[in-house]
Amino acid sequence: MTDAAVKPAATPEPKPEHVSDPLLSVEDLHVTFQRGSVAVQAVAGISFSLRQGETLGLVGESGCGKTTTGRAVVQVERATSGVIRFNDTEITAMSRHDLRTLRTQVQMIFQDPISSLNPRRRVTDIVAEPLTIWKIGTKEERRNAANAMLDRVGIDPYLNGNRRPREFSGGQCQRISIARALVLEPKLLVCDEIVSALDVSVQAQILNLLEDLKAEYNLTVLFIAHDLAVVKNVSDRVAVMYLGRLCEIAPSDVLYEAPAHHYTAALLSSAVEPDPESTRTSIALGGEPPSPINPPSGCRFRTRCPRAETRCAEEVPELREIAPGHQVSCHFPIGT
Amino acid sequence: MSERRTLLEVEDLHVSFATGRGQLQAVQGVSFTLDQGKTLGIVGESGSGKTVLSRAIMGLLPLSSTTQTGSVRYDTQEVLNAPNDELRELWSTHIAMVFQDPMTSLNPVQKIGNQITEPLRVHLKLPKDEAKETALSLLMQVGIPSPVERYGAYPDQLSGGMRQRVMIAIALACAPRLLMADEPTTGLDVTVQAQILDLLSQLQHDRNMAMILVTHDLGVVATRTDEIIVMYAGNIVERAPTDVLFKSMSMPYTEALLNSMPRIANPSHTRLTAIEGRPPDLLNPPAGCPFSPRCPYAQDKCFKDKPPLVEASPGHSYACWYPLGTTEASPAPAAAPAAAAPEEATA
Repeated sequence: MTDAAVKPAATPEPKPEHVSDPLLSVEDLHVTFQRGSVAVQAVAGISFSLRQGETLGLVGESGCGKTTTGRAVVQVERATSGVIRFNDTEITAMSRHDLRTLRTQVQMIFQDPISSLNPRRRVTDIVAEPLTIWKIGTKEERRNAANAMLDRVGIDPYLNGNRRPREFSGGQCQRISIARALVLEPKLLVCDEIVSALDVSVQAQILNLLEDLKAEYNLTVLFIAHDLAVVKNVSDRVAVMYLGRLCEIAPSDVLYEAPAHHYTAALLSSAVEPDPESTRTSIALGGEPPSPINPPSGCRFRTRCPRAETRCAEEVPELREIAPGHQVSCHFPIGT
Repeated sequence: MSERRTLLEVEDLHVSFATGRGQLQAVQGVSFTLDQGKTLGIVGESGSGKTVLSRAIMGLLPLSSTTQTGSVRYDTQEVLNAPNDELRELWSTHIAMVFQDPMTSLNPVQKIGNQITEPLRVHLKLPKDEAKETALSLLMQVGIPSPVERYGAYPDQLSGGMRQRVMIAIALACAPRLLMADEPTTGLDVTVQAQILDLLSQLQHDRNMAMILVTHDLGVVATRTDEIIVMYAGNIVERAPTDVLFKSMSMPYTEALLNSMPRIANPSHTRLTAIEGRPPDLLNPPAGCPFSPRCPYAQDKCFKDKPPLVEASPGHSYACWYPLGTTEASPAPAAAPAAAAPEEATA
């Protein structure tokens, strides 16, 4: 495989003086969906960055905007405002044409492994398609590259290369999706709930595979999931989202050990562990997340927060650093 | 608590489906009993037969395309292959079920109030206003805020967690003595999952109701059941009281299932112990132990003879020739390949 033919277009010039800069940085990202006269703020001003080779876990419950964030990073969803930089290039300002080139370096893997593969195509062709689109190598070379990639993810290309997705299980389809995403050797991989449709034993296979491939291809990963244990397993750092905003970002061991945001604490206390002696008592959260159409003033979690005071309704808590690498957006963080 | 009394008795239940490629043996000889007021967890991965088992107990499988043999007795009454009008007598008032997907299980064009009052009016023959009163109190019990407004809402106006609460309210409407919950929290958010599981436990306790909790997640059953059945490829492979199971699991599959789960207690990047390979084809189940092709401890005998489910200590049964923790079990080679050749002949 060669990526010689996928040189980025000339417009975004690289800045070699910023080599230590993060691979991906998101600044004050807003994504608002307009439905008639109603505006849904799916993502309402979040900032984070990802260093080369790092895995950032993004957790939150449904409707918190984690998937929209992931889709904005690959620019499937355009940002309403805010800046996303990839490799020092402002991708939020890119033309459609330049974005196509970008997508060779930023790939996404989706939740439902079966519906994200074209049911009419053979798996070798599915995996070779990115190469075909970019006209990389000869037909023979593309086929070999796809076969090698399939082999790497644990699908025997000679036995199974000519089969169609429906002949595979969910776990195998997810392997094929991973192969398709990696065949162009991207730098950044956005994984959106990639194991939530899989059985636990298969989930373990896929998570191990992802860890291996991450090391092998020097990947940077944005790992979006709702399962706290899964996120902890793969992530170096974890970001928690609630109703379109970030609550907390910290190195994963710190976040799980000593959460500072009340929402993180409630989320962690709700997780079920396969241990009958688990003494964890869940912090009951009253009610449901409010509507993103009309979010609460101030802190968005205040309507369900056990510590909320009047200040929380008046003033939006900004994300601030409370310890090195540990940021929290709360006026009254736990442990202070 | 009332005296110990067997509510449900399943004996040598076999369920198979006719498919284009032959008979698919989804449940292969399952037996267990459930006492009144107790909670049983049925754990297994997809294709293990756990859902088919729960539907067979409910009598929900189509009789035309399935073959069901054995016996399912609810309070000494045989319900397997029972005619529908007999089952209708049991449904709702004796056995009720909460299904996995609250979106597709509720009728989208009926107000939720009507869906809760329906069993009350059909089975208990309550008059309209009384049924409504009961329904409102049920909505309150399952923790739905402003029940009077929700009564006239359609399912799509509610969130997933709220819909699952409505499902529970419908199931509980006629005060059943046995509640089947098939993956009641799969697809729900973690905080909602905790709420729903707590709600189920509390209602079960209040009503002294027996419950069967079917799930793929050992975490869900760990703190909420009295007893656990682990299923694999249509068979019960281990059955034990919950605390015993977690303390001294004997079947390698149970251990493998537990070890493949990522744990919050472990540091990041802990290597997971995946179970290599895939479950067997139920159209042609293997001759020996169904788990033998993936079992790191499998020996010759495991590939030839199917181990029976034997009770090793009171309440703890497993189907394994070389259970964990016995001297007979040989240590696993690191990363045993799927379908590894058996390493040594057995005595």
